Amino acid sequence: MTAVSRAWGRLTLPGRIVFTLVPLLAVLGAGLVALIVLFGGTAADLILANLGFVRFLAAATIILVITIPIAFLNIYLEMKVIALMNLRVGPDRVGPWGSLLSVVHGLKVLIKEDFTPTAADPIVFTWAPVVTYAAAVMTLLVLPFAPGLYGQDFNIGLLYFFAVGGMGVVGLLMGGWSSFNKYSLLGGLRSAAQIVSYEIPLTLSVVGLLILAGTMSLNQIVQQQSGWFTDWFVFRQPLGFVIFFIAATAEANRTPFDLTEADSEIVAGFATEYSGMRFGFFFFAEYVNVFILSALAAVLFLGGWNAPFPFPALSIPLYPGSLGIPLLFLIALVPIIGTLALAAPFYLARSSMRWWVALIIGFVLFNVVAGGLTFAWAYVSFDWVAGLVWFMAKTFGFVFVFVWMRGTLPRVRIDQLMGFAWKWLLPAALLNLFVTAAAVVIVGS
Amino acid sequence: MHGPLRLASRLVPPRTLLPRSERRPLLAPFGVRIGLTGIWYIVGFAVAAVSFTFLTFGAAWLLSHRNRGDVHKGLPYESGIDTLGDTHGRFGFSFYIYALLFVAFDIEVVFIYLWAVIFRDLLLAGFVSMLLFVGILLIGLAYAWRKGVLTWR
Repeated sequence: MTAVSRAWGRLTLPGRIVFTLVPLLAVLGAGLVALIVLFGGTAADLILANLGFVRFLAAATIILVITIPIAFLNIYLEMKVIALMNLRVGPDRVGPWGSLLSVVHGLKVLIKEDFTPTAADPIVFTWAPVVTYAAAVMTLLVLPFAPGLYGQDFNIGLLYFFAVGGMGVVGLLMGGWSSFNKYSLLGGLRSAAQIVSYEIPLTLSVVGLLILAGTMSLNQIVQQQSGWFTDWFVFRQPLGFVIFFIAATAEANRTPFDLTEADSEIVAGFATEYSGMRFGFFFFAEYVNVFILSALAAVLFLGGWNAPFPFPALSIPLYPGSLGIPLLFLIALVPIIGTLALAAPFYLARSSMRWWVALIIGFVLFNVVAGGLTFAWAYVSFDWVAGLVWFMAKTFGFVFVFVWMRGTLPRVRIDQLMGFAWKWLLPAALLNLFVTAAAVVIVGS
Repeated sequence: MHGPLRLASRLVPPRTLLPRSERRPLLAPFGVRIGLTGIWYIVGFAVAAVSFTFLTFGAAWLLSHRNRGDVHKGLPYESGIDTLGDTHGRFGFSFYIYALLFVAFDIEVVFIYLWAVIFRDLLLAGFVSMLLFVGILLIGLAYAWRKGVLTWR
């Protein structure tokens, strides 16, 4: 024993890491191989027999996990864009251009104390952020991200979206009520009144679109907008789009309609008494909600995953598997040759450059070139890659507009807010509905 | 169509003894029911979302520090002043009116959605009947507007 410990003491840190990791990986690998040999056939059987169920499990996991980077990206975008609009620098310390600051924010919220006030109702207090988050995230189930890339394709997709998305207000109300704080109660009631009022114009603004589309399935709505960008519903339903966007801003509690957390009036609204992860989930849900409503706007009015112009039907006959043994040589040699080829000009042009600096530059350049080529190949060969690119571009365009409004517009008063929903948006939405219906009747008969 | 798992299915020999072509899917009753109605996807996803939240709460509970503090820590935060009066007391009447209006119009929306999807088959008859239906609700809205309910007080 002493010999082993003496030998261990003589090792440097990298040596210790290697001598720990290698046996561990060997044991794990052997275990994994044994597991696959013993149960691999049964597991494959099980998966193949219940392919629908397995697909659902995978979709649910991916959708839940994807909300985390989406929220982080939204928070970073918000901090940075508003800072640039205010002629500030914004986050610039953590990560490149401060891009990891929102991750640090998330970790900070995770390790903060999660405190329940003495007078609060602990069960309702705990469930409130859960309900808000679940309602936000469940709408992602029907959103088509790309061809073939969606949770479920319900024939009542849009109705499901609004029905489940509207549940979020229950969570806000629960949080406001259970906190036992006058500011929280006022914030919760305000958010209920606001969201409930804007729910009507929001849902009515898309009825004209439903008449034109003749279906509530989001997938089919997207497919009907394929072709040139003039086929997008925004050009056939301009009024509906404007109403939808205003109402979506209010639904997501964004400036200029962020009365629910108007910090100059009611501290932090429904979230006054919240701290730690439960507070975190309220705002997690809010940022996911911004993404979801932007995505819905893109899906309904901007053609979802359709490119703005029909892409010329290219096909690159490149199937990596069909190359066989040469593929191995390609994988082994091309990076080395590419790095050397890209490093050589730098090394030859500047005599003061060290050889390893030139190699690093060459390696980075090679990665950029190879990544770009791979992406271009994937864009042309797989329609879901192209679809995802366009979908994300449109969605984050809308997210940017939300942030832009926050950087530009002042908050409205609550009486203006409520009056606007009932006296302007609701009649306008009904007008849009009947004008569209009349047009369809005239054209159809 | 496989029914729910019945007792008789326990008499079937173990799956691995059957030839591959005769093996029934292990989760067949579950799977088929899922295929029939999408509601099970919704329920399953809701369960997944809620458990994700509680897992995160659990992680936060393990990572965070906790201390009970003194009696002042648990008081409601009302700008540093002790709470006066009843928190769950009276609040504005307008909230109630708006909730009532919402219920009327939201149920209307459900009907309008179904009507909109099949509108191309109904055409003029559908247009007139929906005009009547919405018109009746609009009379109510006009009455509320006239009474000044829509103005926040």
